[in-house]
Amino acid sequence: RKEPGDNLGLDEEVSVAKKPRVPRIKLDADRLVSQKGIPGLRKRAKDLKLKGKGHEWRDAARILSFYQEWLDDLFPKAKFLDALAMVEKIGHTRPLHELRTNLINENKPKSSAVYEDG
Amino acid sequence: MEPPQSREDVVHPEVRAHINSLVSALGGFNDEDDGSYYRLGDDALDVLRDIKKWLRFYDEKTNRMDVARCLADANIVSGDLLHILALWSENSRDDRYKAKVALACFEILAPLTWPIEKHRETMTNNHHRHVPVLELAQLKYKRDIINFDNAQLLHIAVRAALPSMALPIGERTQRDNGIIKLVLYFVRNIAMIAPPPGLYFDGDETQISRSATIDAFSYQDIFFTFLTLASNMGEEFKTEDLVLLEILFHLIKRVDTKKLFLNEEELRRVKTDELASAMKKEASMLRSYNRKAPTRHSRFGTMLWVQKSDGKVASLSGQGALSDVSARERKMDESKTFRPPRRAAKEEMEPKDLGAPIVLNTRANKQLREFVEEFLDSGFNPLFAQVRKTIEREGTEVLHYHAQQFFYTVAWFLEAERARQHSRKGQQSTSKDEVSSFQLVAAVLNQEMFITLKRSLTTSANDGDWRTLNAVMRCFTQILLTVQEMFVSENEDDREIAENALSRLFYEEDTHDIVAAIVRTYKGQGFDYLDAAVELVHTYIRVLEAYSKENVDMQVRSKKRTRVKRKKKAQQNSGVLGGDADNQDDEVDESADDQAAAEKTSRERRFDFKKFANKFVVQDIVDTFIKYTKYYRDLNDSQLKRAHRYFYRLAFKQDMSVMLFRVDILHLLYNMIKGPEPLDPNLGMYKEWEEVIKQVIRRCVKKIEERPALIIELLFSKTTATASYLEYGHTKQVLSTASLKPAAELLFRRLDLVLDDQIAIAARLLIEKEEHGHIDWVLSQLTMCAKQREAWEASEKARLMLEAADGTMSLPDNWQAEVKEPESYGKLDIFDLFKRLEADFDSA
Repeated sequence: RKEPGDNLGLDEEVSVAKKPRVPRIKLDADRLVSQKGIPGLRKRAKDLKLKGKGHEWRDAARILSFYQEWLDDLFPKAKFLDALAMVEKIGHTRPLHELRTNLINENKPKSSAVYEDG
Repeated sequence: MEPPQSREDVVHPEVRAHINSLVSALGGFNDEDDGSYYRLGDDALDVLRDIKKWLRFYDEKTNRMDVARCLADANIVSGDLLHILALWSENSRDDRYKAKVALACFEILAPLTWPIEKHRETMTNNHHRHVPVLELAQLKYKRDIINFDNAQLLHIAVRAALPSMALPIGERTQRDNGIIKLVLYFVRNIAMIAPPPGLYFDGDETQISRSATIDAFSYQDIFFTFLTLASNMGEEFKTEDLVLLEILFHLIKRVDTKKLFLNEEELRRVKTDELASAMKKEASMLRSYNRKAPTRHSRFGTMLWVQKSDGKVASLSGQGALSDVSARERKMDESKTFRPPRRAAKEEMEPKDLGAPIVLNTRANKQLREFVEEFLDSGFNPLFAQVRKTIEREGTEVLHYHAQQFFYTVAWFLEAERARQHSRKGQQSTSKDEVSSFQLVAAVLNQEMFITLKRSLTTSANDGDWRTLNAVMRCFTQILLTVQEMFVSENEDDREIAENALSRLFYEEDTHDIVAAIVRTYKGQGFDYLDAAVELVHTYIRVLEAYSKENVDMQVRSKKRTRVKRKKKAQQNSGVLGGDADNQDDEVDESADDQAAAEKTSRERRFDFKKFANKFVVQDIVDTFIKYTKYYRDLNDSQLKRAHRYFYRLAFKQDMSVMLFRVDILHLLYNMIKGPEPLDPNLGMYKEWEEVIKQVIRRCVKKIEERPALIIELLFSKTTATASYLEYGHTKQVLSTASLKPAAELLFRRLDLVLDDQIAIAARLLIEKEEHGHIDWVLSQLTMCAKQREAWEASEKARLMLEAADGTMSLPDNWQAEVKEPESYGKLDIFDLFKRLEADFDSA
């Protein structure tokens, strides 16, 4: 039990500094490049089964729900179309651009001799 | 505080007292003759002049609206002025006093009905206080003026100006011109007053509607005045063109030209059809909602788990989610509340000044049609030729909105003329001996007009003046359509003129570029602008395609290519002449010559439609069209057709369906057909859309299987490089025409050194910096090149070997000229270079 007059807490300093807000979670390039992002999408793509000619509507629905599910895992708080717009915007940044060109070059047929200009 | 006092506070009490005493001194109804006869006050004319002075020297000079407010409160217009004007009857024409009084009335009426401009920067506290009241008061003025039973007030207005108008233009004094202007402005104000958006008017709307206005104008013979003025424009009248333009603009804006030229029966049929189709649309909308609506009451409490592909489970409530997968996904999506931060749309972008589309009643429709026909026959050419000149001159009387009104009105009348022709075609064959109907609108199809049009197109696009640009685009579209119709007409002269006009319209490549640039840079300018841009692009491409097919060797003037050449030449020159590149005098000289040089070097070349069409496959333009298509629920058949044709051309004529492979685009296209709010299947365009979307999806699925990278690329916009990779499997080789410039520190300052010396210095420097690796690399490369060259030369020699008669083989003397140089080696003599480099290396 505290003694009266002894320690009322008057001498303690009260901090008035505002606590910093918890930073908002954003869908940014880091998140998109992370394991859950583009690499995750590629992994998932192996399970995407499309039937092709004659099943256009079903295929389109499958493609859309495939992306929707992926975005829901990657960034659950945004709606599908909003998240798509965000991803598209990030696509113009440098890290994403590099990633994309690498992925495209990966699939290209290897040309015999590619010399870069010195 | 009592209400009357607080009301008094708005205006200075003395001002109100002055005005009230003036108004009561004007005159009034006398009890002796049952209060049906208005008696003019003794000093009525002086009182009117006093009121005018109050308006001028208190309101205008000090930039308040107090007097106008007091006059509105005192009910001067319907209480006094209208009755005073009614006194000036037809048979008292020679009564000079009454004529003066009438004129003084209009001198007050014109400022009272003057449109109130609301510019945020110039508005004072007073304005904010008075404007809403005055706007309502103006509506009442308009109602009282056009529905006044005792006299035809508009007619009286014209009568007041008639003596001045009857004079030949040379004999008119400044005062005469002032009177004509005053009356015309009064008529313009009456035509212009309309309920502002968001203001509640508690009177009968039909009394101030466009139909009522047109009815009054027609009944009181005001249209005849317009016709007289318009057909004598440029001869007897010169300065009245802009006012007349404004009146016409306010009469015809937003009137549907197609409905204008229908007779009563057809009009009724069209209106019933409209109602029927609207009801059908509503029914189909309800059906699409009801199909997936819950079948039980709202507290039935369904709850379900949805298992995702990774085994996780999400929960959902409501029966709506039971029906199918897409409904479940939609429900999950809709439950999210996060909104990404967005910039608010700019309010001023929407063209508010035009207002809602106008529906005319049958009577007004007929009256306006008669006027429009007569105007087209007599007044169109003189009026618009004069207006164009005035706008070109850019005098002080030309305000910023005049250009916009000019282009809008021209577009409207061109459309009306075509609608008239179509309605005539059904009735009878056009008589050939008369003037061709295209000659009636010839004033806007000449070269001067095209120049004005192109200049306005460029300047308004550059300045970001979207409203003017909107009007210019509509005008351009209508001109193209008119010329196109002339092009296929039976009259040979018309065809010739049309061909001439088309070649002039399409001659400059700049125009092609700016049309593409307008759609490319669309960003939040509002739907009306978007619609105008899409319509222009659609018409432009279509007409240009048809025309370039007919004229295989169509020439287009371009400035682009030569400019690059010129630059190169300039570079060479400066390289040879001066050691230091930034030679100030040199540059000034060049820019002075620039204009002349550009003219000299700009050359004509054959038009290539394919190349032109390729300008429209970039992602930004696709995005603009996608934004347009997002309004698919509200678009009509012809608007849907425009978007459809674009996508069709993109995907199947130019084989760039890759541009559509983006998830949000697919989402939109899929939902147009199969979504919760699909396109109405009864619409004519539904089948075509369904087919094109199906084909796009099919191609997309095929491409995903061909190129797995598309799974990633589906998320992003595509550059031309990635698009062509996805389409053809390799990135397009870009042959760069511009030679790469080395960095500044790698340039040799002294240009008198020969190549050998330069190489020697470079090698020396590298060795001093101990960067042997680079030299080694260059050497190895050159060795390899040399070996390749040797091998190739040997094979070429073998190919060219001639077998002599005795069986020995020999090379022809000119074998070196015979060999085909492979492209990659170019002209550089590799052996020579190699040897030199080796020598340098050794000596170092």
